[in-house]
Amino acid sequence: MIMEESTKRLRSLDFFMGTGFALIGLYVMFDGYIAYVSPALVTVEKSVNPGVTTLFVGGSLALLGLVLAVIGLRGSGNPFLKAAEVIPETLRKKSFLRGVLAMACIGVYFFIFWGRIPYVIATFIFLAGMMFLFKGGAWWKISLISGITVAVIWYLFGVLAMIPLP
Amino acid sequence: MAMGSEQIFYEVLKTLNLEFIVLIAIGTFIGLIVGALPGLTTTMGIALLTGITFKFSGHSAIALLMGLYVGGVSGGSLSGVLIGIPGTPANAAATLDGFPLAMAGKGAQAITISRTASIIGTLFGIGCLAFFTPLLSNLALKFTSAEFCLLGLFGVLISGTLTGADLPMKGWIAGIFGLSIGMIGMDELTAWHRLTFGIPELIGGVPFIPIMIGFFGIPQVIEALMSEQDVLVAALDKTKVKLKEILVHWWTALRAGLIGVGIGIIPGVGEDVAAWVSYGVAKKGSKHPEEYGKGSYEGLVAAETADNACIGGAIIPLLSLGIPGSPPAAVLLGAFLIHGVRPGPMMSFEFPAFTYQAVSWLLVATLFMRFMALWLARPMQKILQIKNAILMPIVAVLCAIGAFSLDIRFLDIVLVFFAGLIGLIFRKGKYPPAPLVLGIILGPLVDTNFRRALKASGGDFSIFFTRPIALALALAIVVLILGQLGVFGMLREKWRNRKERTAV
Repeated sequence: MIMEESTKRLRSLDFFMGTGFALIGLYVMFDGYIAYVSPALVTVEKSVNPGVTTLFVGGSLALLGLVLAVIGLRGSGNPFLKAAEVIPETLRKKSFLRGVLAMACIGVYFFIFWGRIPYVIATFIFLAGMMFLFKGGAWWKISLISGITVAVIWYLFGVLAMIPLP
Repeated sequence: MAMGSEQIFYEVLKTLNLEFIVLIAIGTFIGLIVGALPGLTTTMGIALLTGITFKFSGHSAIALLMGLYVGGVSGGSLSGVLIGIPGTPANAAATLDGFPLAMAGKGAQAITISRTASIIGTLFGIGCLAFFTPLLSNLALKFTSAEFCLLGLFGVLISGTLTGADLPMKGWIAGIFGLSIGMIGMDELTAWHRLTFGIPELIGGVPFIPIMIGFFGIPQVIEALMSEQDVLVAALDKTKVKLKEILVHWWTALRAGLIGVGIGIIPGVGEDVAAWVSYGVAKKGSKHPEEYGKGSYEGLVAAETADNACIGGAIIPLLSLGIPGSPPAAVLLGAFLIHGVRPGPMMSFEFPAFTYQAVSWLLVATLFMRFMALWLARPMQKILQIKNAILMPIVAVLCAIGAFSLDIRFLDIVLVFFAGLIGLIFRKGKYPPAPLVLGIILGPLVDTNFRRALKASGGDFSIFFTRPIALALALAIVVLILGQLGVFGMLREKWRNRKERTAV
């Protein structure tokens, strides 16, 4: 029974992902079509036109995505109803929230800290902050590990490999 | 340039100096640690280290990465035996018997047996690599654009079929999605910009290594941090295993070696499939199948020999055809290209000694693996207790700096992040990663050769099925697709019904 329910949930996800892949496939096909009819490529033989493969690959992706969406639709009963059940349940899960927090920390490090704050400071704040948030241990232990890691990375990349750290 | 055997021997010796040996030792050591730590995979380790070692001279970086490959596949069984969590997916089958043995107070025996099986498997794979690569390279010289296009397509499809755990179609979608990503950038034949979304940095194509670092690294960090598990580390005894106890399973080891190499040669399938297939076959043919999963030496030998034999197997198509046999080999291909080594049929002319150099590096790595794994077993008990909350932020930092150091540009960091998101979605939806990796790598190969073949034939599609090798590959693709669509099952059913009716 539980197995059946988890399969239905997976099929519901398949419906949405299949639709997504079909849309990506259509976009790839559109890009291929633009190349195929482009006046800039009029002197190029049709068989060598870059749109040929793009159309083929995009078409295959769109077709497979569509088939997966149909499988998802049939296997889940009503994918929208299933999604309405699953989404609030997932949002309440502690593990999901931990995942979102981890992704957010990485996002902040990559998109806000990177290039704006000197690398050594940014990395130390990121490491210490993330270890602290996920309960890595006592504050002095976290500071020590973060400090050593930053020093090793700075020496390996910045000094030995001579990479201009941001 | 053709090279005599003496010259090849000299070239091999040139890349076996102290510098190379030390680098291989470091690579094997890192591999054992990366492989043993649950959450870090060999593929991810190679991707990360490729970013870090890109300033090394070409061959030395490759030697180090090969050491990591050997160490990584073998290291995963250490955590499998000690804590019951396989370090990499390739060691999941070995954990089934390794952990019960450790819990029964035979941890040291389990580690010795799995290590010996790893060595047998790796040596078997290396032997096959040395023997079959030149043969396959010679065959590949007969390939034209049509064959290369079909081979690439076959690789993506078979990888999708064999690795799609939920539906094979998901493997195909992953592969074709990878092909689409592989086509981003300027077209090689006409200089037309495809799928670049107007971003000038994408004109040169999507850089492979940042994508791999993000796709394998970030989801691992997130998933490890999502759950906080307490680790139960098994105690190690001091008993020793007699060689006789291992040699008694020679037939299992030989069969596992053959399975490992065979599966390794199939594009994009990899070590985990090899281990499971070998474990299943060994259990089926065993006199004591009831012992499997409860601490069977035979099961441990079957799984560990196969996943290590797969290393050599996966490098055979990589070197001879330029098509990787496993996800770690796919990332290794990226590293080869960064360091100016272009694998494929022309390699026997451009780098005639490379195959044998690779064989010698793998042999040295196997030797180091033998000693390091036993020496590391006890300290590893401590290392395995490192909390994910400490380890994973460090991995995230390494992902960023590893990708950034390749081209010193911010776009690579962005790619790591988005590849990580795609990786997470793929895991949630049960899409296999191997076909996507293979698709990204083979995208340009399939695309360019498809159009080159059409140009050569004047737009005539018959070029894809009038040459013998092309016909065989085209048939294989058709059979693969029809098989997955259930056509053969339907035909078999019809034939059985007709037979029954005739009998009545």
